[in-house]
Amino acid sequence: MSLCKKKRQDDFQKVKLKVGKTKPKADNATNINFRTKGINLTEQLKKDANAPTTHRKLNIKDLLSQLHHYSGTVKQGALVGLRELLTLHPSELDQHLSSLLSEAAAVFTDKDPNVRMSATRLLRFIAQSVPAERTSPFFPLLSAHLSCAMTHIETGIQEDALKVLDVLLDHYPALLAARPALLLNNFLELISHRSTGGGARKGQEGKGRSWALSVNPNRNVTGQQWRLTVLLRLGRFLQAVVEERRAEEGVACVSGDMFSVLNGQGGANAPLELNWEELTYRKGGFQVFEHSGAMPTPHSTFKLRPETEPGAGVSEGLGTGEAVRGFASTLVPLLLDVWVEASASDRSKTDSAHLLTPDAMSLMYQVLSILQLLRKLAPQREYQDTLDVWFRSEYLGDFKQHFMKNFPYGNLDTPKQRRKTDPKRSKQSTTIPGQTVEPLALNVLLCQVMVSMVTLSQREGQAQEPDAEWLMPLRGFVQETLSSGAKLSQRHLHTLLETVWRMVITQRSRAVTEDLLQAVYVQYQQMNLNLQTRTLLLSFYSRLYLQEHNHTHIARSRVLSRWLAALPLQLSQLGHRNPALSDRLLLSIQAAASRGNKALLNSLHTHACRLYDPQEGSVVLLPAESQQRLVQLLYFLPVMSQGLLANLSRCCTAGRVSAGLAASLIRIIHLRSSLSGWSVGSQDMTLRDVDYISFLFSTLTGSDLNHCLCPTHRKCATAWRRWGLVHSALTYGVLVCTHLCACVCNCVSLSQTGLAVVPDSMAAGLLRAVARLLDLSFLPSEPLLRFLSRCCLSLLSLLLTLQQDTAVWGACVAVLSSIPRLLRLVLQSLRVKDLCEEELPQLAQILSLLLQHTALRNHMLANATLLQHIIQDLTRYCRGESKEQWMTDLLYCYSVTMATHRGNLGLRDIY
Amino acid sequence: MSAPMEIVLSADSAGQLWNCAVLELHSGTNLLAYRGGNTSSRSLTVLNGEYILGAQLGKNFINVWEIQRKDQLQQKIVCPGIVTCLTASPNGLYLVAGIADAIYLWEVSSGNLLAILSRHYQDLTCLRFSDDSSHFISGGKDNLALVWSLASVVQLDPSHTPEPRHVLSRHSLPITDIHCGLMGPQARVATASLDQTVKLWELSSGEMLLSVLFDVGIMSVTLDPCEYYLFCGGSDGGIFQVSLCSQSLSRDKTFQSDNEGNQVFKGHRNLVTCLSVSMDGTLLLSGSHDETIRLWDIQSKQSVRSINHKGPVTNALIIPAPANMFLPDSRPGIPLPRFSRHLNPSEQGEGVETGGVCLRLAPHTQSVFGDGENTKVRVSELEEEVRTLKKVNKDLYDFSTQLLTKPS
Repeated sequence: MSLCKKKRQDDFQKVKLKVGKTKPKADNATNINFRTKGINLTEQLKKDANAPTTHRKLNIKDLLSQLHHYSGTVKQGALVGLRELLTLHPSELDQHLSSLLSEAAAVFTDKDPNVRMSATRLLRFIAQSVPAERTSPFFPLLSAHLSCAMTHIETGIQEDALKVLDVLLDHYPALLAARPALLLNNFLELISHRSTGGGARKGQEGKGRSWALSVNPNRNVTGQQWRLTVLLRLGRFLQAVVEERRAEEGVACVSGDMFSVLNGQGGANAPLELNWEELTYRKGGFQVFEHSGAMPTPHSTFKLRPETEPGAGVSEGLGTGEAVRGFASTLVPLLLDVWVEASASDRSKTDSAHLLTPDAMSLMYQVLSILQLLRKLAPQREYQDTLDVWFRSEYLGDFKQHFMKNFPYGNLDTPKQRRKTDPKRSKQSTTIPGQTVEPLALNVLLCQVMVSMVTLSQREGQAQEPDAEWLMPLRGFVQETLSSGAKLSQRHLHTLLETVWRMVITQRSRAVTEDLLQAVYVQYQQMNLNLQTRTLLLSFYSRLYLQEHNHTHIARSRVLSRWLAALPLQLSQLGHRNPALSDRLLLSIQAAASRGNKALLNSLHTHACRLYDPQEGSVVLLPAESQQRLVQLLYFLPVMSQGLLANLSRCCTAGRVSAGLAASLIRIIHLRSSLSGWSVGSQDMTLRDVDYISFLFSTLTGSDLNHCLCPTHRKCATAWRRWGLVHSALTYGVLVCTHLCACVCNCVSLSQTGLAVVPDSMAAGLLRAVARLLDLSFLPSEPLLRFLSRCCLSLLSLLLTLQQDTAVWGACVAVLSSIPRLLRLVLQSLRVKDLCEEELPQLAQILSLLLQHTALRNHMLANATLLQHIIQDLTRYCRGESKEQWMTDLLYCYSVTMATHRGNLGLRDIY
Repeated sequence: MSAPMEIVLSADSAGQLWNCAVLELHSGTNLLAYRGGNTSSRSLTVLNGEYILGAQLGKNFINVWEIQRKDQLQQKIVCPGIVTCLTASPNGLYLVAGIADAIYLWEVSSGNLLAILSRHYQDLTCLRFSDDSSHFISGGKDNLALVWSLASVVQLDPSHTPEPRHVLSRHSLPITDIHCGLMGPQARVATASLDQTVKLWELSSGEMLLSVLFDVGIMSVTLDPCEYYLFCGGSDGGIFQVSLCSQSLSRDKTFQSDNEGNQVFKGHRNLVTCLSVSMDGTLLLSGSHDETIRLWDIQSKQSVRSINHKGPVTNALIIPAPANMFLPDSRPGIPLPRFSRHLNPSEQGEGVETGGVCLRLAPHTQSVFGDGENTKVRVSELEEEVRTLKKVNKDLYDFSTQLLTKPS
């Protein structure tokens, strides 16, 4: 009890408070002796397993919904987050493409420049990873937002819209170009405004025009620079339209890129290329389609008339010639204004008006390139000419006045000025992406634009004089640039060559042509040109040459013929270093040779021996296709000299050309000989028969000598194949004539003396040739026959080792059956006495083979006594082993042969 | 015996017995022989079913026979040079000859020389018309084959030199033969060349459809009337058959098993210079430099008949028999005029005796309907047709409105 009491007192002890003493702290007093800091939870803790998120754990839906947030930073963050999400999880892009594009496009017109920038970046990212065909369904939406931004009242948004356009032009040019109508107007409105009132009513009638250049003082760049940025995009856009149109037409690329395509290839249809050997041994058939060769296509290339408007609804913008013309009539005056302003602004600064600041220069360059593109916009090839005529009639005066006034433009660089404007320029250069135009580029482009104006007037027979006057400085400039010897870049050279081409075609004067071509030739003769440039120049000339038929002034050009004459030398000097270039050269040579160009043929003749040299001539160094061209060139050679023929035969035998090619070489030479029955034309009898035949035989002997050096089995097979081909070539027209036989015999006796050992294949070939060539009336001489008989024998013994070789056997049989005396000689030379034991079975086998052959049987019978002697000898010398298989075989054959015809004696006499 | 449907016309370069012979296609019996001179390669042609023309080998004139008078030369057309190839248009209105590197075009009715086309760079080897006479194709030793539209060539326009419609320039050695298929301007053209290829082109667009590379140079080419097969005569005497459409495999599988190497007709021993297929596509005629012509059964690829000649065969063709050929009393519908040697006879002082009007197409009129009289007829026909079409259309419209508006 007392314990309990005490405890109670402990619990409720009274705390005494006294005045003047600090109050003791309560037990439950809060310690406020700490400092706080805010914690931001940027990431959610929740983790959604099915949707991938950014590092902030936001999934794509959150991000997209954040784009509707009022705050600019949130939106920007969302755009950045989207980009991050898509880089981490590219699969998200496929699923959400439509919502992504629509949301991103919606912020093109956002007030905050940072948001717009991020949106552009996001768009670029998407565009990089999504191909055009998958974007195409969303493209109307994108372009609607784009044009909304382009026409926005705020200048900043307008400027950023151009960046969006850049992205689209980079990645989806074809989609943009598909509906050009709306965008073109937007471009116009960016640099000008439509003046309402009198102008509109007059419409497009020449000078009373409805659009005027505008200047917006609010922009943070000068009017000129703004125009430059807009024109740059317009240029690129038009380029895209032109390219898309070209892709549509397909065929047009031939004339579009002048010098790239040489022999009219690249049509819409792919022809079917077949090889007879494949054709014969392939199981399935092939199919040629009615209008398209290898691949089926529903479109026939046969057109009754040009189709009118392929898709009426879509291509309102530039689909027809009239539409292009309408657009041009609005744009060209504006461009002229831009030009005038650009040139005028400089003139105040300097007294020499042809010197330009870089800005003005690039602006002018853009103007010219857009003009050039406008010309190419004509929807069909037929409208091109009418468009050109219209351009000429409408604007030639203006162009002459403005463009030609200070024609060779130069660069204005005074160091003082540059220093002063330096900081400013560095700021501006951020707005204008990499535009520094050299004066050369400007001048060259100007030439091209102006020269394109001249085209058709000449054909219609108008007066030349006014044109010649303003063409003078242009021509002077072109000539000077080309012949100065300076290296030109690929693009400039291409433009210049096109200009020269146009001038040559239109100017139809020989002196002008000569001068221009001479200037190009200076370029051509430069030493270290790279391959592309060289090819460009080469194809310029070869195209020019191929065009010459209706331009006599080109055909008679001395420069051109000098160029042609130099080609064979170049080819031989080039060797194997550059097969592509050699092929180009060969194409031109072949074209000229087939046209019988004197200069070329003479030069070809002088260099023929080098070209066809068996060691380092082009014919053995180049790839197979070029080799074939070279071989075909032989047909056109004016004279076949003995040296050349010797080279050729060594080419054939050296084994560095394929067997097929060697055969076709022989065939071509055969065609040129008088034995072929094909008249070569004016160059008849330039190959003497003697030369031809000596060529054939030197090929024959050489070929086999070479092959007997490496008598592996496979090589033998190829040699035989070649033999067959050569042989067929030989026997074409070479029908039996004694003159030829004499030749053969001479050759044979020659080879007889020259060769101690005759290779097997050659022997067989000789036998075949003799069998085919020999006339019954011709009596072969004794030594020849002896030689042949030896060949025959050795071949027959060879035959026993190579079992299946029917060609050798055929040759032997043919020659033996055609010359009975030869058979007799063979049999006579079978002297059993001189043979050793091991050779007897061989002999017996040969004999039984001969006996078995029906064609020979009669001849064998004629020599029955001889045969009988041999068999008797045989049985005598191998009496011990008469039970051997070969002996019984022989006896059986012999008895059968004899029995069928006479049915008497035979075996009984022997025993 | 009834008159034969199809005949073989052949000529060789020796011309010992006759210039050209007419044989019955199926029996091979010799029906007729035209005498005098000999004919050069690819220059034997039948004009309008009434005359036979053949260029003399190595001379500068063309022999002309009336088709029913085999013994007598009707005329010799003297030309400015040696004629290398010759053909007449299937409608019998124009005659085209290749003389050196130029093509000469005559109008048969007047004998006027309408055009000289010198667009080839070397001698011509072959000329062929399309079956509707609207185009002709020329091949030369400059590796080119040119397609000419006849209408544009005959235009009377001094300032404008005629240009070929297409230039077929993919051969790399001289063209040896050309064959033009049926179907007028939509035909397909086969060209053979020494570069060992045969190429098939589309006439309308000038595009190449097929190129077959052989082991030997090809001297002659032809297509059967259905254009199922391409026959190519090689310079080694083989005739190669290329099937242009794959047969349905299910139907004739048994025949396909042994098709290895059986697409060659073997028999000739030298250049096959001419090929021709009969109208029903069962027989192939070939002429060769081994002095024979052979007739082949296409299905079995066997030589049915071989006929010897005295020299290398220059021409062999199968043609439908002209009506006049076997009627000795018949006369040609129009007498053949004197062919002029110069482009403008009036300037040369010749041809003034004819009081006729020279009717030539103006440069810009369309040549679709031929001459003026025909045009009127044709226009009225077309108007008639338009009227009937309108009527049919209206009937259809009435009928369908009735059907639609009828309360169901």
